[in-house]
Amino acid sequence: MTEAWIRGKSAPLDDAIIEAANIIGNGRQPVIAGLGTDVAGARAAIKLARVIGGVIDHMHSGALLRDLDVVREAGMMVTTPTEAHVRADFLLLVGPGLIEAWPALPERLFAKRRSVWLCPDAAAVSASTYENVAIVGDNPADLPTIVASLRARCAGRPVGNAPVALATIDAIVADLRRARFGVAVWSAARLDGLTIEMLSGLVNDLNASTRFSGLPLASADNGSAVQQVAGWTTGYPLRTGFGRGVPEHDPWRFEASRLVDSGEADCAVWISAYGAQPPTWTRNLPLIALTGNPNILKAHVTIAVGRPGLDHDAVEHLAATGTLAAVSARHPESRASVASVLGKIITKLPAARPC
Amino acid sequence: MLTRLAGGHVIDPTNGRDAIGDVFIRDDRVVEAPPGGVVDESYDVSNKIVMAGAIDIHSHIAGSNETMGRLILPEQRTLLDGFHPGHFPRPAGSWNTFETGCTYAAMGFTTVVEPAVLPHQALQAHLELADIPIIDKATLTVLGNDDFLLNLLHRREGSGAIRDYVAWTLSTCRGLGIKVINAGGAAAFKDNLRAFSLDDEVPEYGVSSRTIVKALQRAVQELRLPHPLHVHCNNLGLAGNVETALATIEAAENLPLHLAHLQFYGYGKEGSRGFSSAGARLAEAVNAAKSVTIDVGQVMFGQTVTISCDVLRQFNARNRAHPKKWMICDGDSNGAGIVPYDYKATDFFNAVQWAVGLELFLLINDPWRVFFTTDHPNGAPFTAYPDILALLMDRDLRAEWMSRLPKEALEVTTLSSIAREYSLVDIAIMTRAAPAKLLGLKDRGHLGVGALADIAVYSPGNDKATMFREAALVFKNGQLVVRDGSVRHAPFGRTLRADPDYESGIRVRMRDYYQERYALSPEFMTVADATIGRPDPFEIVPCLN
Repeated sequence: MTEAWIRGKSAPLDDAIIEAANIIGNGRQPVIAGLGTDVAGARAAIKLARVIGGVIDHMHSGALLRDLDVVREAGMMVTTPTEAHVRADFLLLVGPGLIEAWPALPERLFAKRRSVWLCPDAAAVSASTYENVAIVGDNPADLPTIVASLRARCAGRPVGNAPVALATIDAIVADLRRARFGVAVWSAARLDGLTIEMLSGLVNDLNASTRFSGLPLASADNGSAVQQVAGWTTGYPLRTGFGRGVPEHDPWRFEASRLVDSGEADCAVWISAYGAQPPTWTRNLPLIALTGNPNILKAHVTIAVGRPGLDHDAVEHLAATGTLAAVSARHPESRASVASVLGKIITKLPAARPC
Repeated sequence: MLTRLAGGHVIDPTNGRDAIGDVFIRDDRVVEAPPGGVVDESYDVSNKIVMAGAIDIHSHIAGSNETMGRLILPEQRTLLDGFHPGHFPRPAGSWNTFETGCTYAAMGFTTVVEPAVLPHQALQAHLELADIPIIDKATLTVLGNDDFLLNLLHRREGSGAIRDYVAWTLSTCRGLGIKVINAGGAAAFKDNLRAFSLDDEVPEYGVSSRTIVKALQRAVQELRLPHPLHVHCNNLGLAGNVETALATIEAAENLPLHLAHLQFYGYGKEGSRGFSSAGARLAEAVNAAKSVTIDVGQVMFGQTVTISCDVLRQFNARNRAHPKKWMICDGDSNGAGIVPYDYKATDFFNAVQWAVGLELFLLINDPWRVFFTTDHPNGAPFTAYPDILALLMDRDLRAEWMSRLPKEALEVTTLSSIAREYSLVDIAIMTRAAPAKLLGLKDRGHLGVGALADIAVYSPGNDKATMFREAALVFKNGQLVVRDGSVRHAPFGRTLRADPDYESGIRVRMRDYYQERYALSPEFMTVADATIGRPDPFEIVPCLN
């Protein structure tokens, strides 16, 4: 049974869908954001955006684009979580947020190989937490300098003022060079773009003599899959708008929070089927929420949707394989999917809409 | 409903038809002329050319590598029509699945094969294909750098085990055929080898590239798969690599083998720059090897992006990226590289590449064995096809193009001495009849009674490129989808797949193998009908009798 509310009052799902269709169908600049959903939900959200001339953005676009920007500004060597599992003989774990991004990381990758972890989350990881994992640096603010020092020393250049002892840096450099198939692991959710670019440059440099690859951890809330869907259906990453009849991508122009807070957007759909993420914008506007947890935000229309892969079959990005895969529901048909709700909204859009 | 295409010049090489006449369509099939001639609907196609819908056997249109290409080149918003701004009767497009289907259909193509799907990424490729409208699709499943096969060869297990593994993989991934890409080269690169040739061995396994190719060729043949093993040879793009291609042709040993984008292997080491065309030599070898088929992978000038599972080659090419950005992935088997590239008419090497492709087209005598591709988007986006067809049909046009290219480049090729011009029948064989035969698609590529009513109608004129860019009419499954080069209707087609038999024991073996190697179930690579999100998404192509 799918629950729905209009202005906080419980309502039949069909009424909520009509109300939602009227709000976004009459909007001049609708934003479809959050996008915490499965592949079918992403397809439906993009279809809706195309029909109403809206904008699509994911709640983790910032992190997704930080990784992607390094590829599209420079270049990047990567491998898969499965190949790292099978082949890596050394891991360079970089920065905080790794376990948060992939809880199975220690189980999947830490055994059977040595690792050095630069500046992990001090609260979660200490020197004795994991066997085979040496920790270097305790302040994430030092990370850019440490990574830069590693790259400089790998290139045979002098380094001054490194935040950790030069002997430690040089010992890691020796590990990196000795690796036959090393893998650098990071989560863009917690690194800045320049650090990722420096790290990616280090990985590329190491391939002059040995083999080394990067493993950027996947985004939360199925963001990596949603980015792929956006890529194939629109030709662009997320932060893409359809206002002029064709898809256009601009990471600044089509950032959902900026559009809402600047007043450019006049209504929004917020999709968070994996849980309780609320939007980061601060302005109030007519809002339709498709959420796994209806209690956490106030919206004009709220529809409780199922969790992909739990309440309904789904295609999702799997952290263990780095691919899209089908996931069967464990409690089928308890709540509607994002795709089915958006599909119904599309059929109820008002015929005449502002252009 | 009965439809008549009246009075067109019907070119149907499969059925020996090259004359003015009618074609009748009932529902989704070509049918006999009705007694009494009464039809529900008639199109006057007099002074027009009527052919079966075209079939592209090798075009990278879907999958995570293609999508990475899209993501890293957002400025390439008009990649599909970048070569010919303004030619397409639609708003500025983008390089997405929808535009891909519409653009192919506008040119009269109705079936396209995505030739490089890695088993672990098959689901995404099929989801993307499902979002490409109008055309039917198929995939080739890539094997030959995968640990399981290399181990079977290392342990010298019999051909039965290899056959079962190939069939299981193909069925699981819903592929139509098998492709091998730089056999063993990606695996060797993981062990830090930087070059890999036909008789080099993959270090970990002690298995040569030749052994891998031969084992897969045999498995494909024993399984009676409709499409022969599709080979991307070693040493792509390197000066002197014609020797690799010649050795691979010889390795076919008079059994069916398809060599992909042969242009990229047509290079000698002659001339002051140590780079020359070996197109004529290669064409001669193909002419002699009757069991071998090839597609060209023609280069055209302009910005594109190279997308390949030949990770070793792409790694070595990454520093020539234009614009300077790239992605290299060490994958579970083959991996991938995405490297943007700008082919320049003023560049010696690019001009030689352009000429080598045309030499192969023009010097291989049998249009049933040479296939029309650019290896989209590697040699050029598929939107360049109409211009290539025009070049093949018109030697004066070739001379005009050559007059703008570096003279020293043309001097190391034979192109200026070639007078051949393709006829419309040659074009119909190369782009319709022969591909259907090569893929085992009995009801496609021709207009005989019972054929699927995939039909392209063109308006002939002096500008052959325009004729092929904007079909006058296109029917898909008997439905009108294109008129005057514009898409009128965009239904979704299906994906063709093979369904070979295998011993069920391989399922247990694969489950155990995935558990041991990856600590995972192989379920994640399964492609099921229900997952695709469209009704009846697959059509089975039977194995050979």
